[in-house]
Amino acid sequence: MIPNYYQFYCPVKILSGQKAMSNIPFEMELLGCKKAMVVTDKGVVDAGLIDIVKTAFADSDREIGYIFDEVPQDSSNRIVNKLAKLFVKEKCDCFIAVGGGSSMDTAKGANVVVSEGSDDLLKFQGVENIIKDLKPMIAIPTTAGTGSEVTKAAVVYNEEENVKMAFLSDKLYPDVAVIDPRMTLSLPPKMTAATGMDALTHAIEAYTCLQKNPIDDVFAKVAIDLIRRYLVRATSNGKDKEARIGMANAALLAGIAFSNSNVGMVHSLAHASGSVCHVPHGVANAILLPWVLEYNLDKIPEYIAGISGALGSSVEYLEPRDQAQVTISLVRNLLTRLNQVSGLPTRLSDAGVTEDDLPAIAQAAINDGAHTYNPKDLTYEVALETLKKAF
Amino acid sequence: MDIDIQKGMALIRGIPFYPTVQSKAKYALLDISLSALAAAFEEVAKRVPEFQAEIANWNDGRRFAVGVLPKGPYITLEKRGDMTHYLGKGLLSPDVTFLFKNLDSGVLVFTGLMSSHQAVAECRVLVKGNISYAMELNRALAIVQTYLFPGIILKRIFKEPPKLSLGQLITKGKVYVALLPALIRQMV
Repeated sequence: MIPNYYQFYCPVKILSGQKAMSNIPFEMELLGCKKAMVVTDKGVVDAGLIDIVKTAFADSDREIGYIFDEVPQDSSNRIVNKLAKLFVKEKCDCFIAVGGGSSMDTAKGANVVVSEGSDDLLKFQGVENIIKDLKPMIAIPTTAGTGSEVTKAAVVYNEEENVKMAFLSDKLYPDVAVIDPRMTLSLPPKMTAATGMDALTHAIEAYTCLQKNPIDDVFAKVAIDLIRRYLVRATSNGKDKEARIGMANAALLAGIAFSNSNVGMVHSLAHASGSVCHVPHGVANAILLPWVLEYNLDKIPEYIAGISGALGSSVEYLEPRDQAQVTISLVRNLLTRLNQVSGLPTRLSDAGVTEDDLPAIAQAAINDGAHTYNPKDLTYEVALETLKKAF
Repeated sequence: MDIDIQKGMALIRGIPFYPTVQSKAKYALLDISLSALAAAFEEVAKRVPEFQAEIANWNDGRRFAVGVLPKGPYITLEKRGDMTHYLGKGLLSPDVTFLFKNLDSGVLVFTGLMSSHQAVAECRVLVKGNISYAMELNRALAIVQTYLFPGIILKRIFKEPPKLSLGQLITKGKVYVALLPALIRQMV
């Protein structure tokens, strides 16, 4: 159970709970910052969530220098460079990212541009290529979620080269993550379900893939337990504050887990489904998760079996394989429940994918780095077969 | 017995200049291993259809490098037509690079004690450049390793060891025969 070698790092200060955002000006003072660049998207602004951020500054001597609300669904280098120029022009000294993964990635990308003094993001892509210390960053998630508030990754689309640039570096961790229950109250049911299943996939893949380690196993299991308790509740009743904060914490814990343990084949297929057919990331993860667990089952039955308790199993078998089947059926039951409550798709065909798209998705999936950490190989044929099963 | 071995190792480590000698020996081992890998890339590209199919979609002139931080050794190769050509030692403007963080990590992989995907999982390897190029390189590297390493090592380093047909085994023999002259050509 103890791996031959592993690394664990999570330097993010976490503030979670009632009125957590009120502490932002104090945290800025600790970080030596006076003027923040708020990075968000129009959806967050329209939902009134930025007004909550503004109230946190009302009685403080720290200020918001500029509110940048042009973050698109997928972050791009054009937007990142625009943000970086504004950051310098407005003389800001820290970033506050408010939103989902795209806002976080845009802020992280702009931070690299500003701190490295270069607008050529291409040369920083890959693993541990960012050398200089970045400007302080505070992350406030409005979904539960990607876990980007506690991860070392950012993905930015390069419009000129037509490629997605992936950056992984310890420098990309935000300094502070603020989990305030007010920020996810207005999330619609389907999005609550989809982002919650994204968090579940993070936790399960962190627990079952090659880079797993005992520290991340703890975070992953607690995340899975919280998701079991709160995801259906939060989806059915968005105003349930306890469920909302429970899910936000689950996403954060899953984010810590996968940031160190990485993810696997589910994410390779989900990334590819997103880039070829624009299937939302959480939806793709939800649909593909049980099929990939079945594929990995014969290699890692004891790991898959190990999470059945966190998912609510009250049955214990002697054989790991049988227990692992219980885990997979619990995941399927959860997906069915979420479909009944929110209309979350359970098949790729219900998510806008056609049969003709499957070969292109399989080809894109094998070029995605995530499956390096999967216990079993992902070939084109395996990807296509899995996609057909999930179709 | 174990205690005696540990005592012996402690004595050896205490010898003056031992760390330098050990470091130089590891460097030399990796230098030869990377040279062999470079030669293997060229010979496999000439003879193995699945390798040619794998790199068929690569852009011409794509360069890739493998090496060890902080001071090498490094090798750089380039795709031209349906072949991969060894450009020489050093980092020669590669588009994608696999870098081992230290000599020990490189030795573990190149002596067949650890698979490259396990090395990645243990954060022993850095990747510079486009991640999809890196995945394509990873698949090409897997094919080269299939024709370079004997079966007993393949069982250890692959998630699912490849099963070679008779024709592929014959091709593997041809690669082995061509490897030594190729290596000598590189050194001359």
